[in-house]
Amino acid sequence: MATIIILALLVAIALFVISTYNRIVTLENRFGNAWSQIDVQLKRRNDLIPNLVETVKGYAAHEKGVFEAVARSRQAMMNASSVSESAEAANMMTAALGRLFAISEAYPELKANENFRVLQEELSGIENKIAYARQFYNDAVLQYNNAIETVPGVILAGPMGKKEQVFLEIPETERQAPKVSFG
Amino acid sequence: MTSDSRSRFLDSITDVVTGRKISLLDWKTANIRYSVLLALFTVGLLVALAYLLALAIEPGAAILYISLALVISLTQSAIAYWYSDKLSLVASGARPATREENRYLVNVTEAVAIGAGVPTPRIFVIDSPAPNAFATGRNPRHGAIAVTKGLMELLDRQELEGVVAHELSHIRNYDILFTSMLAVTVGAIIVLRDIVLRATRYGGRGRRSTERKGGQGQALIMILLVVLLILAPILATILRLAVSRRREFLADATGAYITRNPEGLARALEKLRDYQGERLEVSEGVRHLFFTNPVRRFNASNLLATHPPLEERIDRLRRM
Repeated sequence: MATIIILALLVAIALFVISTYNRIVTLENRFGNAWSQIDVQLKRRNDLIPNLVETVKGYAAHEKGVFEAVARSRQAMMNASSVSESAEAANMMTAALGRLFAISEAYPELKANENFRVLQEELSGIENKIAYARQFYNDAVLQYNNAIETVPGVILAGPMGKKEQVFLEIPETERQAPKVSFG
Repeated sequence: MTSDSRSRFLDSITDVVTGRKISLLDWKTANIRYSVLLALFTVGLLVALAYLLALAIEPGAAILYISLALVISLTQSAIAYWYSDKLSLVASGARPATREENRYLVNVTEAVAIGAGVPTPRIFVIDSPAPNAFATGRNPRHGAIAVTKGLMELLDRQELEGVVAHELSHIRNYDILFTSMLAVTVGAIIVLRDIVLRATRYGGRGRRSTERKGGQGQALIMILLVVLLILAPILATILRLAVSRRREFLADATGAYITRNPEGLARALEKLRDYQGERLEVSEGVRHLFFTNPVRRFNASNLLATHPPLEERIDRLRRM
């Protein structure tokens, strides 16, 4: 009788450990995947920038300050090695692009350029996707943090070496992303 | 168990009808469960009616009638499951959107799909100036969204995001699966009623001349059958409409949750309310799929509308 009880207890503990472990790993993968979504968009944005800068230079070559800001944030983006560095560089880039698009308002010929219009739509599309991906990332991080800080996850989080993750901040400027409409 | 209860915390929204928190996971599970039940109900109903019909007309051929009903109802459910998306897309004249031609729509849809955590659905365009949109697809992996040209012209980015998020919610929560199964049930009942009403006319005439005995039992069956067959479609329609209106509210709430921007969707609905131009011409069968009811019927009572009044939807979004 005693052996049966001990066996049952062992099985219960094993099941508990397995399900908690799986739960934590699933959530960790979810926010990892959410980050790679953001990363894909950041890379795509970086790839479009040389083309954009060339196009704008053709019409507004003397706006040097903006081009430099864009180039700096692009460099920072490429040098970033951690999530927080990437996120910071991404915010810099968003601000620099915001300035660039604000300046372009003063050049009707630039705005009429087909290539520029396509790039502008692609970039605001990417900006939007980054915002949504970041929202999804933060949701996933919240779930993960909740899981490893509450019972039962908290019991296994230590031995598994799991630590609380940081949320991505959403810069104020981005709330007013440039709005373009193609019918 | 734990995984469900945790994600419920994040994935729950307030049911705008009852004011209670409801979990999107529950909603999805309920949709799948009811879809299976509906398919079983349709099969059961058709078999039962086939049996009654056989009793009334040709008791000897009961097995034949039942097997026929089985084959028909199973085929119908299978078609609804696998082909309802293609049928709705063809019926509405939608064509696939390309990135080159519809960059704006493609970008908006991809962004909202990222926010909703679902694969990007297939995107379609309907060449109509009337602003509207619909979603189809039995599960998120087979999702599709169709948007009219008129809608893209009428709405700005945030508003379009709201509408796309509303449509994605229908896919994500398996509303489409449920409504296509419901459409089969309702359709089957209506077709069956027509067949039986015709058959009883023939059968009635024939029997009176050949056999007079046993008429009472048969007459009773006939009356039951006729009453059932007249009432069933009416009940089914009311059920479908009530369910569909509640679904619209829930999709509005989920859409607002995905975009974190109830105002975008509310403004989109306002623009649609104030829109005075051409309306979309669609067949009755796919009307419930659309974002707003494509046909404006001034005399339609509240109970018989597939969509709740726009005013009420806007009001509920604004109060979020």
